[in-house]
Amino acid sequence: MGDAEVYALHDVNLDIQEGEFIAIIGPSGSGKSTLLNMIGCLDTPTSGAVFIDGIDTGKLSENKLAEIRREKIGFIFQQFNLVHTLNALENVALPMFFAGVKRETRLKRAEELLANVGLGDRIYHKPSEMSGGEQQRVAIARALSNDPEIVIGDEPTGNVDTETGNAIMDILEGLNHEGRTIIVVTHDAEIAARAGRTKRMRDGRVLD
Amino acid sequence: MRDKFLLAYRSIRERRTRSILTVLGIAVGIAAIVSLMSVGYGMEEAITGELTGMADMISVMPGKITGHAYVELGSFTDRDVKDLQRIGGIKDITAMTYDAAEVEYRNERSPIFIIGGDTKELGIFYVEPVGIKEGRWLRENDFKGCVIGDRVANDFFDEVIHVNDKLIINGEKFIVVGIFEKASTMYASDVDPHIFLTLHASKEALQTNEIKYIMVRVYDIDEAEEIAEEIKEAINDNHGLDDFAFAMTIGSAIEQIGTVFNIIRGLLVGIAAIALVVASIGIMNTMLMSVMERTHEIGVMKAIGAKSSDVLSLFLLESSMVSLVGGVVGCVLGVVAAKVISLVAGTAMGIEFSAVVKPEVLLGGMAVAMVVGVLSGFYPARKASRMSPVEAVRYE
Repeated sequence: MGDAEVYALHDVNLDIQEGEFIAIIGPSGSGKSTLLNMIGCLDTPTSGAVFIDGIDTGKLSENKLAEIRREKIGFIFQQFNLVHTLNALENVALPMFFAGVKRETRLKRAEELLANVGLGDRIYHKPSEMSGGEQQRVAIARALSNDPEIVIGDEPTGNVDTETGNAIMDILEGLNHEGRTIIVVTHDAEIAARAGRTKRMRDGRVLD
Repeated sequence: MRDKFLLAYRSIRERRTRSILTVLGIAVGIAAIVSLMSVGYGMEEAITGELTGMADMISVMPGKITGHAYVELGSFTDRDVKDLQRIGGIKDITAMTYDAAEVEYRNERSPIFIIGGDTKELGIFYVEPVGIKEGRWLRENDFKGCVIGDRVANDFFDEVIHVNDKLIINGEKFIVVGIFEKASTMYASDVDPHIFLTLHASKEALQTNEIKYIMVRVYDIDEAEEIAEEIKEAINDNHGLDDFAFAMTIGSAIEQIGTVFNIIRGLLVGIAAIALVVASIGIMNTMLMSVMERTHEIGVMKAIGAKSSDVLSLFLLESSMVSLVGGVVGCVLGVVAAKVISLVAGTAMGIEFSAVVKPEVLLGGMAVAMVVGVLSGFYPARKASRMSPVEAVRYE
């Protein structure tokens, strides 16, 4: 082992417009998840910068980053990542809880969001009592709870069957029509084809 | 805030068995503190409580205390007693002879200590607080009568002694005219194992004029120390010695007992503190395991917008809730244990006392539980709050 530096991302220059639906496609290890974590303010670059609404996120404090994640960004994961001790309603209300929204408001909005993704009758179910597709819809409702401008999906259809995957993409499309910016990472060309724009990545670089 | 409690409660319930064990760990530590303190206070109160009733007494002995042992230097004379009667502020004086004698009952012999003294004075000092169970107290002209303590009547001879039974003391016949009640803690050693005679009879039986013990009762407890000094001086003058007489007020005895009990309580608390340290390591361990297990969950919470301080407070809340419950359970267990211990120990030692549960001990127990919970929860909570969201989310 030498001192050679390994870059997860290198020479990336990517502009995403407000209201865009973009898919980033590439094999595993191509750096697409790292890029997504940078955009989603889960991580900050060691060199270079990520701007959201013209703000350099690398210069923000921990708390400020948490605030951006909470208010501006909704995250959807491949593994759903629901809190398993909480039921669907509480999971959806959790980001609003961290945002300091009043309890009644929070639960009312969470209920509406769950109804919007077709889970109005399953709000008191725990994640363990739901199918993968249902869990991912709960996760989408959770991502929307603070009404973010940007929705980020890290392989959002990676753990569900094709039909459910399409249903999830329908929802994301709908969110895009509402004016939200959608950024999805996938290795499924069919899923990527539904986005307005596709970017390919390999070895930490964005191609074409 | 209510929701934070709910969140914390959910994750405590999620790990039910472990949480219950942690609660028990703290509870046992707190229970140890509460019960040991309460038993200690109970014992102290049982002893000093009786002594307080005797706070107006000064006991005078012909000897001195060197180190921890009492060394008898001789005996008092009638002149000593007369001199004491001239000291102001004294209500009663009783001079006693005191020596071992050979006592025979139904052909069985046993050495027993005899106390002789003025019947009226002895009556004030012993009969009033202890009481006569059978028969009556001595009269001035009971030259051949005696009153015996509970242990003399029941334990010293194979056969139980009753009123009107005959005892032979150093070869002289006496009739038992009365038997004392079983004395409580403070009087037990003075009354239970002794035979009481009139002064005249005891001088005959013991073949002595020596006065071995003087009990003085004062009018004003506040003057007791001063009077004790005067007594010492008066008697020392008579005998031409610097420290011939030893006069101790019961008040100073109470103080000494208090000091002893403070030391005992300190030791007990020290032992209980070890239990608490063990318990707090238990909490820390539980919380650390919980943090490790929930690394992923912490990452998710941060990814959806939780601040580090949110995570910190959630975990701290969890450990303080566990320790609060532990504290409450510990206080309840401690009180129950204190009652049981005082009952069992009291019966075993033949002392009657009940544990004294002081509110400040309970409050202190709760406070200690909370402090332990917060302190031992802090390190794991901080560890949780400092996790990087990317790594935590990736962790499975």
